[in-house]
Amino acid sequence: MTPSSSFRPVVEGREAAGVARGLSAEPIDMAGMLAGAHHPGAGAVVLFSGEVRDNNRGRPVSFLEYEAYRPLAEKMIGEILAEAKSRWVLQTAVAQHRTGIVAVGDTAVVVITASAHRGEAYAANRYIIDRIKHEAPIWKCEHYADGTHEWGNNCNCHAVTGDVSKHIYESEG
Amino acid sequence: MKIHVYAGLKDYFEPEFEVEGEARNTDELKTLLVAINGKAEAMLSSCRFAVEEGFIDNAYKLKSHDTIVIIPPSSGG
Repeated sequence: MTPSSSFRPVVEGREAAGVARGLSAEPIDMAGMLAGAHHPGAGAVVLFSGEVRDNNRGRPVSFLEYEAYRPLAEKMIGEILAEAKSRWVLQTAVAQHRTGIVAVGDTAVVVITASAHRGEAYAANRYIIDRIKHEAPIWKCEHYADGTHEWGNNCNCHAVTGDVSKHIYESEG
Repeated sequence: MKIHVYAGLKDYFEPEFEVEGEARNTDELKTLLVAINGKAEAMLSSCRFAVEEGFIDNAYKLKSHDTIVIIPPSSGG
């Protein structure tokens, strides 16, 4: 597949024409992101799609609503992508996270990494989504089927690390 | 100084408001905020603070014209 000429997702935090930097209030164009992620030097492309479940801790979920402190969230996503590219040899590292209302089954976040071999693409992808989830100022509000809602599933690493800026990443476990 | 809050903190404060009184650092600001709404104390203890799109810690000297963003623990993804 050749890279799309009409879509260039965020790479190392730079904004490309027509694409929101790291955050999108509209449905994520996952196919477009993937089309733009291919690279002739990459033998492996890993795409992670975080999607909205219809339940959480036994409660039926109607939809999620995401809020972000946009300037800092976009800056941090760009920095996380750049750091991933400094740790692994990646031809592509892109990510986009939704804001606003996201329906059950829809995509809340996409991370795509491409590298010569799958090991680096997988490792980098997991590193990026871990850090976005723990660090980027993005929050979800769960709206339940019974009409109630709750801001929840916060990073709780500080309870263990004693520092709100120090996290425990699954990818390093 | 102006305060912006997000997510669960909006259950305790208006999204944007101004605080009266002096706070020289984030610890003192937390004290002011707890005086406004004591129910927010636990959540404030887990929050990060930012000024001008950068995180600050308690060593940062707050200025009266600062707009301070209070950032609860992330829950993206």
